[in-house]
Amino acid sequence: MMILKMKKEDLSVFLETVKEWGELWGPARKGERVVFQRVDGLSQMDLKATRTIIPPKKFLYPQRFTMFDFDDKGYVERTEHVPNRILFGIHPCDIHGIQVMDELFLEEYRDPYYAERREKTLLLGHSCIPDDKCMCSARDTEFIAEGFDLFFTDLKMFYLVWVGSSRGHDLVRMRPELFNRNIGRDDILNYNEYRKWKKAQVQSGADFTGMPDIFELGYNSPIWDELAEKCLSCGQCTMVCPTCNCFNVVDEVELGTVEGTRDRFWDSCMFREYSLVAGGHNFRDKRVERLKLWYTHKLQAYISEFGEPSCVGCGRCVATCPVDINVVTVTKALREQEVGK
Amino acid sequence: MSSPRVGIYGFTGCAGDQLMILNCEDRLIDLFGAVDILSFAMAKSDNKDEELDVAFVEGSISTEEQLEHLKNIRSRAKVLVAIGTCACWGGPQAMKLEEGGFEKRYKGVYGDAKIAVSKALEAQPVDAFVKVELKIPGCPIDKTEFLSAVSKIVAGRHPYFYKFPVCTECKWKENLCILLEGKFCAGPLTKAGCGAVCPSHNIPCVGCWGPTDDLNVGAEYKLLIEKGYSPEEVTRKITKFSGAEVAKLMKGLELKDMEAKK
Repeated sequence: MMILKMKKEDLSVFLETVKEWGELWGPARKGERVVFQRVDGLSQMDLKATRTIIPPKKFLYPQRFTMFDFDDKGYVERTEHVPNRILFGIHPCDIHGIQVMDELFLEEYRDPYYAERREKTLLLGHSCIPDDKCMCSARDTEFIAEGFDLFFTDLKMFYLVWVGSSRGHDLVRMRPELFNRNIGRDDILNYNEYRKWKKAQVQSGADFTGMPDIFELGYNSPIWDELAEKCLSCGQCTMVCPTCNCFNVVDEVELGTVEGTRDRFWDSCMFREYSLVAGGHNFRDKRVERLKLWYTHKLQAYISEFGEPSCVGCGRCVATCPVDINVVTVTKALREQEVGK
Repeated sequence: MSSPRVGIYGFTGCAGDQLMILNCEDRLIDLFGAVDILSFAMAKSDNKDEELDVAFVEGSISTEEQLEHLKNIRSRAKVLVAIGTCACWGGPQAMKLEEGGFEKRYKGVYGDAKIAVSKALEAQPVDAFVKVELKIPGCPIDKTEFLSAVSKIVAGRHPYFYKFPVCTECKWKENLCILLEGKFCAGPLTKAGCGAVCPSHNIPCVGCWGPTDDLNVGAEYKLLIEKGYSPEEVTRKITKFSGAEVAKLMKGLELKDMEAKK
């Protein structure tokens, strides 16, 4: 870990330089939306936007992609087509999200498709401006100490740049003259102020304390039935969640041949088909069972396995659900034993 | 192994699904090469009524003559595939199916005019009359979904279609949710497969792919009423394409609403 200082006007030059390593992607406006898009440079990005519709998981694990091509003799993996990519402007919560994905896809069972994309992706984080839907303070994810290659904290007059990996350091060494280590008393005070400011910005009212217990106590609570009656089963919450990773796999065959591709696409435990098994049995046939599974997985079961919830507090479920079912309203409903309006 | 023997037929509908098959342009030669098309009145002459491996049927059934023809196709085909929303769910012409009163509606339109062609029936989806092995919905069907299904049938595999709602594809494309803007959108009730074409152009989903695997009509209905739509308007909008199917689920909802008003 190393923290450097950079003049704000130098960022544009720096990003121009690192494009030599790979494609530059960042949060950019598309009408009223903000999505991670390929950009030419800093001027096309919107670094003030609080969140993109889909988190950066789409780069490591695309919505739908081909795993391999097959014919009657065997199969050939399609991992070589992945380009080098630099993702700039990723916020702390989303980096926490990628760390959760890394645990799932790289540790016990190494997923070659995820691993290939992860290897070819550099994460350049950027500090953010929280809005009323952010819950990072409640989840302790408003700051990030690891998991990125570089992290830029905007302190108005300049950037403090965290170097989080040797690959990040390699980028710095492409333009060493843009960085310095002259960090003085005022910079430290500034940074401290910034931390206080950021904590004060988060006002979603989310409260995750005691969550494993509240879930255990409320497992058979009628609250779940009330929520399920409202739930549209649209699955949007799972698509936008930075730590949701369920998928389905399907073969496509070339017409009149035995050649084809095996494709993988995002699925969701909120859908009935997901828990359907051979013979027609469904482990979670009812909507209420699926809804309960998702929330207990995020905020209870994950804690027992990995020590913390898999919610990173990004607020996307809050911003997305048309009927206001999200980690804030569900935890509140369980705690207060009443579903809010 | 000989190519599967295929027939493609159209009943009450706009013929858009058959047209979409012909619109597969760059794949058409592959298609005609992979299957032996014995009957496809829209595309060729010299059509034969013989035994079939697969019959693709477009359109709803709305006359007795059509019903006889359908039964004849069924008796000759090992597998019958309904293509398009009219064949799968009835289409707009089956919107009032659950309401009943066909005779009265018929009279309202035709009066006492003598119809010589064939006795008309209330339009219904194909599976209301005969066994259907597979449904490929869409208005019109999607080329990719159709070719994927045909390729698998030819290869002796099971076709696969997304069972989740179109909201999934819509989110994949990173669209803002139209329901969140307070506007009507039938996305949560509607099967995916179109690639969320309409919402990607900021046009609400009208439900033309038909009902999804596990829809919560009650929740959608309640949400739209809360957004200020009248029960009549919600009913009309969500039963437009898959009326026959959704209307069954709708029964009782309006009553509940009326009771609540009392």
